[in-house]
Amino acid sequence: MDKNQMMERAEILVGAVDDLPTIPVVATKVLQLLDDPDVQVEEIADLMLSDQVMTARVMKLINSPVYKPTQEITSLKRALVYLGLRHVRELALTTSVIDVFGGTSGALELNAFWEHSFGVGMVSKIIAQKIGYEDLEKAYISGIIHDLGEVFLSNFLQEPFMEVLEYIKAHPVKLIDAEAQLLGTTHCEIGLSMARKWNFPDAYCDVIEHHHNPGSATVDPILCAIVNISDLFCSVRGLNYGGREWISFNLSEEEAWTILKNKAPGLAQMDIERFCYELDDAVPDVSALVSAIFNSPEKAKP
Amino acid sequence: MAISDKDFEQLRDFIYNICGMYFHTTKKYFLESRLTRRMEATGTKTYQDYYLLLKSPRGSEELKFLMDEITTNETYFFRNVPQLTALENKLLPELVEIKNKMGFRKLRIWSAASSSGEEAYTMAMILLEKRATLLKDWIIEIVGTDINETVIAQAKEGIYNAYSVRNIPDAYKRKYIKEDNGRFILSPDVKKFVTFNKLNLYEDSKMIFMKSFDFIFCANVLIYFDTASKSKVVQHFYNNLQPYGYFFVGQSESLHGVNDKFKTVHFPGGFGYKK
Repeated sequence: MDKNQMMERAEILVGAVDDLPTIPVVATKVLQLLDDPDVQVEEIADLMLSDQVMTARVMKLINSPVYKPTQEITSLKRALVYLGLRHVRELALTTSVIDVFGGTSGALELNAFWEHSFGVGMVSKIIAQKIGYEDLEKAYISGIIHDLGEVFLSNFLQEPFMEVLEYIKAHPVKLIDAEAQLLGTTHCEIGLSMARKWNFPDAYCDVIEHHHNPGSATVDPILCAIVNISDLFCSVRGLNYGGREWISFNLSEEEAWTILKNKAPGLAQMDIERFCYELDDAVPDVSALVSAIFNSPEKAKP
Repeated sequence: MAISDKDFEQLRDFIYNICGMYFHTTKKYFLESRLTRRMEATGTKTYQDYYLLLKSPRGSEELKFLMDEITTNETYFFRNVPQLTALENKLLPELVEIKNKMGFRKLRIWSAASSSGEEAYTMAMILLEKRATLLKDWIIEIVGTDINETVIAQAKEGIYNAYSVRNIPDAYKRKYIKEDNGRFILSPDVKKFVTFNKLNLYEDSKMIFMKSFDFIFCANVLIYFDTASKSKVVQHFYNNLQPYGYFFVGQSESLHGVNDKFKTVHFPGGFGYKK
């Protein structure tokens, strides 16, 4: 199906939802405040603290195995200092996205969805590090939000999306192809449409749109390639939405791998087998993180 | 004695670098208990001391004892489920399609360290199930080889204990296994597809005759070889594989640094090596 048609269909579907969740007011304010070059950490901290849920999420993320602080960080201000203001934007964005969809249920099992998303975030950060990509947090956040469109499909197109999920159980096709075939659009176009509504930065829109075809990315093909490869690894190693689709791949045939090897030729020597086994070991950490974020009472100290 | 994360990681890295076998964190307690046995036997007091022993000139000798402890030599039917699932649902149908186009309806499979035959017979059962459909009118040849004649004799006999058959799915068990006083007897329908021979994987003159296989399995054997021998043996497997065939190693094994010709094909829960 034609790319433009799929995009049009996505715009229509997203536009037709009256109660599309919005990013919390505080997040929008934080994003605005961060545009001010003279902004102080205290101002941001005060503003974020007015949203207890966001504060709690930030604290959990910062103390997760992914960020690995040497000792537990218990105050929001210290968390912001530890991360650096430049990363607060991403954090505000992620925690808001989690908030918007965290409590809802649809066709997808949400814990499995977020385990995949955080897993792709974690692996994206590791790969970003390996290839010397300059902004590790950006890679992490990109991983977390890459499949945003799926949550929309799961919530607002529940029945047709269920059919897609049933279909891929019985047929050896990729989810994205089944979506295009049965829904006339895919989670990439849907996600992009949402990300635009929420004024996501261009690089994230690029990842959401092109994480299955990084060669077509316009803003940051390397970032899209990082997320693409991370997505593949997670899909075969236990962070795979509970194994809903059949994935098999050979890195030497993946466009994203070529993009990354051009950036960092040393990648060709990477011990892929060991990387997979280490990923198996990390799966319980990711599950623990997700269950800490979504399944426990929210409490945080200022 | 409880092993610290640091000691565990150090010994895990050592074993991985020498043998190409990765110990998952979930296997920490297993490794701990096996290491403790070797520490008692060698009179070493701490994991650190034992690590130093392994790295010392006496280390290569001790490593053999350690390998015997940590690689439980037992084998059983349907051992590597992710591998078998990938093979049955994806790799085999793809291969059959290629060979159908070529008009070459013959499938050859090699279990290269067949021990008492469980792996070879598992493949036979899986392929037998496809006899009426995917593999209709196909010739199927499964070869099991091992260096040890005792296990070859056991394999040929085809009688197993409860432990060996515990993982066989019920549908297969009902069809292909007959229980007799705690002994589990394999059906002749399965046995007839498999032949067993003695073979030393080191022996070049014999290895070059193991030709034209579509799938080769060699689980938990290469870990005993040094890097040079590993490379040599794996090169034989590479040469003896059909252009579209697959080579498989054991569940936590790695060929990294051993052969750079194979392409790694990932599937859920595992990978295979493609020519």
